Amino acid sequence: MTEHFPTMTPTRRTVLLSLGAGLAAMALPRGGSAQAGDQVLRFGLSTFPPTIKPFDNTGGAANTVKLMLWRGLMGYDASARLQPELAESVDWTDPQTAVFKLRANAVFHNGKPVTAADVVYSLNEITKEGSTAYLKSDLSILTAVEAVDDKTVKISLSAPSAVLLDLLASYCCPIISAESTEDAPIGAGPFTMKGSEKGVYIEVERFPDFYMEGEPNVGGIRFIAYADENLRYAALEAGDVDLIEYLPWQQFDAVDASDTLEMKSTLGPYMFLLFNVTEGPFADPKVRQAVGYAIERQDVVDAAFAGRGTPLFGLPNPQGSPFDLADPAVEWSYDPEKAKALLAEAGYPNGFDCRLLATATYGMHQDTASVVQAYLAMIGINATLDLPDWGSRVTSGKEGRYDIAVHGTSGTYNDPDSLWPLLYSGNPSYLQSFGFKSERIDGLLEKGRTTTDQAEREAIYKDLAKAYFEEVPQVPLNWRIQAYAMRSNVTGFESLPGFLNGSSAYALDDTKLG
Amino acid sequence: MLAFLLRRVATALAMLLVVGTIIFSMLAIVPGDPAELLLSTGGGSASEEAIRNLRLEMGLDRPLLQQYLTFLGDSLRFDFGTSIVDGSSIAEAIALRLPRTLEIIAAGAVLALLLSIPAGTLAGLRAGGRFDGITSGLNALLTSIPGFVLGTLFIYVFAQVLGVLPAGGYVAFAEDPAQHLQMLILPAVTVALHLSTIIFRMTRASVLEMRGHDWVRTATAKGLSRGLVVRRHILRNALGPVITVVGLQLGILLGSTVLVEFVYNWPGLSGLLVTAVEQRDYPTVRAIILTVAAIFIGINLVIDILYSLLDPRIALQ
Repeated sequence: MTEHFPTMTPTRRTVLLSLGAGLAAMALPRGGSAQAGDQVLRFGLSTFPPTIKPFDNTGGAANTVKLMLWRGLMGYDASARLQPELAESVDWTDPQTAVFKLRANAVFHNGKPVTAADVVYSLNEITKEGSTAYLKSDLSILTAVEAVDDKTVKISLSAPSAVLLDLLASYCCPIISAESTEDAPIGAGPFTMKGSEKGVYIEVERFPDFYMEGEPNVGGIRFIAYADENLRYAALEAGDVDLIEYLPWQQFDAVDASDTLEMKSTLGPYMFLLFNVTEGPFADPKVRQAVGYAIERQDVVDAAFAGRGTPLFGLPNPQGSPFDLADPAVEWSYDPEKAKALLAEAGYPNGFDCRLLATATYGMHQDTASVVQAYLAMIGINATLDLPDWGSRVTSGKEGRYDIAVHGTSGTYNDPDSLWPLLYSGNPSYLQSFGFKSERIDGLLEKGRTTTDQAEREAIYKDLAKAYFEEVPQVPLNWRIQAYAMRSNVTGFESLPGFLNGSSAYALDDTKLG
Repeated sequence: MLAFLLRRVATALAMLLVVGTIIFSMLAIVPGDPAELLLSTGGGSASEEAIRNLRLEMGLDRPLLQQYLTFLGDSLRFDFGTSIVDGSSIAEAIALRLPRTLEIIAAGAVLALLLSIPAGTLAGLRAGGRFDGITSGLNALLTSIPGFVLGTLFIYVFAQVLGVLPAGGYVAFAEDPAQHLQMLILPAVTVALHLSTIIFRMTRASVLEMRGHDWVRTATAKGLSRGLVVRRHILRNALGPVITVVGLQLGILLGSTVLVEFVYNWPGLSGLLVTAVEQRDYPTVRAIILTVAAIFIGINLVIDILYSLLDPRIALQ
C-alpha cells in the first residue's frame, strides 16, 4: 500500500491549527479495542524483511512473515514437536521412499485445493537449475517427486535421510500453488497479505479457510519494524505493540519485574570463534586448542549478554536435541596454563600478533570480541580488533581477511545434523573457518545424515564431538538466551526451544489476544 | 543575463555528474556483496551456488564500466530503476519518503522559529538580565545534548513513564490524522530544540548589535513606542542574518535528520538510505544521494539567481 499525503505548507494558521491538534492528539485515547478474536496482534520485528520469497532465506524477520503466509508438508507445534501441516500423514515404504497424504481440506489463498501437483511444482522450484533456494543442496537428495494421485505424493531419495522431515518443515520449504508467479506466490498459510510498506510494516489478515480448525486465533497481525532494540522494547512498554522478538538482554530484569509484561525465552543461538587456517599460527590445531582453553566464557556471557546465556565448552548440540553428547573429555575448560603450554608446544612460547574480526553493527559481536581480546592477551596473543560494518564483515570473512573472527548463529532444527552448514567443508561460507577442511568431520556429518537408526546416530555424533574438539573447526563460547516479550493479554505464544527458536512463528497460530 | 543563467545551470549539471561519479566509485570500492548479504541476513548462510545465481539476477556480473555507463544514461533520463534487493521502484520509494523527512524538518523549523525568535529577541534586548541568563544557560545545555540522547530521553519520559505519546513509528495522515500528529510531536520537537539553539544565539547576538545603533536611539527619541522601535527598527534589521542561517541549517537538516528518524522509527528518506547502504543496494543509495545533492544544488542555484537579480554586479563578474 502506498499512501501519499500533501506536503505541509506552513502558513501561520495551519501551523497553529496543527499545533493545537497535536496537543489535543496527546489527550486522545490510544489503541482501540475490537471484538475478541478479530483483534489485530501488533508484532515488533527487529528488522524489516529485505525480501519475502518462499524459498530464500533472508533472515529471521522474513521467515516469521513467511510462516504466516505459506506452509509446507511438515511443521512444528507450539511445543516444537514435528507435525504434519499440509500433509495429513507420512508413510515410509522403505528408508528411501516417503509417501505423503495431503489434507483433504487444505486450500490455497486463491480457493483452490492443495494438490500433489503443487507439491511437485514447489519442490522442483527449490531444486531446479539456477534456483537461489536455501535448501537447494540439502534437497539434492530428492531423486523423484511424483504425484501418485491428486492427494498423494511419493518422494524418492538417493540415500536414507534422518532429517528429511525437518527439512520439509523449514520456513524455506513451503508448498505454493503451481499457479504462482515470481512476484505473487500463492500459499495456504493461516494468513493472507493485507498490505505493506517497505521498511515500515507488513499486515496480514486471517485466512478463513485455513485447514486447522479454529486457527488462527487473531483476526490479523501487523508486523512493525523497529531496528533499534531499545525502541522496540519502549514500544512494547508503551503499548504500541503487543509482542516483540529479540528482547534486548539489558531489559530482561525490567520485564521480570513488570506486572504488565511477560517473556518466553530459550537457549537458542550460540557464539563462537573462527580461524583463518590457511596461514600463520592458527593453521596449527594446537594453537586453536590453546584458544579454547584461554577464554573464561562466563565473562563473555556477563559482558556481552548481561549474564543471559550459558558457557559452551564443546560441540554445540542444541537444546531439544534427541541426543545427550555431553562429555568432559571432549570439552574445553578455562585453563590458561594449559593454553600457554599448548602454545609453547606449537612453537609460540611468547605468543604472537594477529587480527580479530568482528562487527560494530551488532553490539554483542563487538562486546564478545573485546572479552576474547582481553583473554587472548593473557596468554600472549595480541589481537588487534577489526570492527567493520556487517556487510564488510561478511566479505572479509568469506575472503579470509582475518586471523580469528567472532560469529554467532543458530541451526534451523534441533538435531546435531543442523550444524551441517557450519561444519561441512563442501559448502564454504563466512560461517566457517577460512580454509578449514576435514574429511573426518565431513564423513561423520554425511554418515549421521544418512543413518536412520537413532542409537547409531548417537554414536556418530559422539565421534563428531571428539573430532570437533581435536581438530577445532571453531571454538565455542556460549549459548545465548533468546527471548520474545509480550504484554500480559497475549496468551498461547511460545518461544520454540533451541535451534527452532527462529521458527517460533508457528506458535502464532495458537496466540490469543485477551 | 541569459548567458549567466546558462553558465550557472551548466555548472550545476557538471556538479551533479561529479557527485554521481564519486558515489559510483565509492560504492564500487566499499567491500560487501549485496547478493551474499541478502542471503546471510541475520547471520545465516547461503550456498555458493545460490549467491552466484542471485548475483546474476541482480545484474552484478556485468563489467563495472558498463554498469557506470548504464547508470549515467539512466540518470540523464531521470530513470532511477529498481532496487536490486527487492525489485521495487526507487523513484516511488523516494517520492514516498522525501515528503516525510521534509515534514519533520518543516514542523521542527516552525516550532524552532516560534520558540527562539521571541526568546532570542527578549534575551538580546535585556542582555545580562535574569531572562537572558536563564535562556542562555538553557541554550548552552541543549546545544551540548545530541539529538539522539534527547530523543531517547523523550521516549522514556513521554512513552514509557507517562504513556501519553507513542514511542515512535509512523501512520499516514490520510489513514489516521490524530495518530499521525501524535507520532509527529516527538521527532518535530527534537529537531526543533536543536535548531532553536542555533537560531536563538544568532537572534540574540543580532538584536544586541542592532539595539546599539544610532537609528534606534533616534527612533526612541522621536517618541515612538517601545514595541514599534523593536519591531520596525531592531528586529527587521536583525533578522537578515538569522534568515540566512535558518536557510543553511534547513539544507543541512536534510542530511542530518537520520538520527532523529532512527530514534523514533520515522520512515523518512535517511532511514531508506541507511538501510540501502547496509544492504549494499547500490542503485538506491545512488538515487537518494543524487536526489539530495540535486536539491542542494537547486537551492544554491535559486539563491545565486536571486542574488543576481538583487545585485546586478554579480551577474557581470
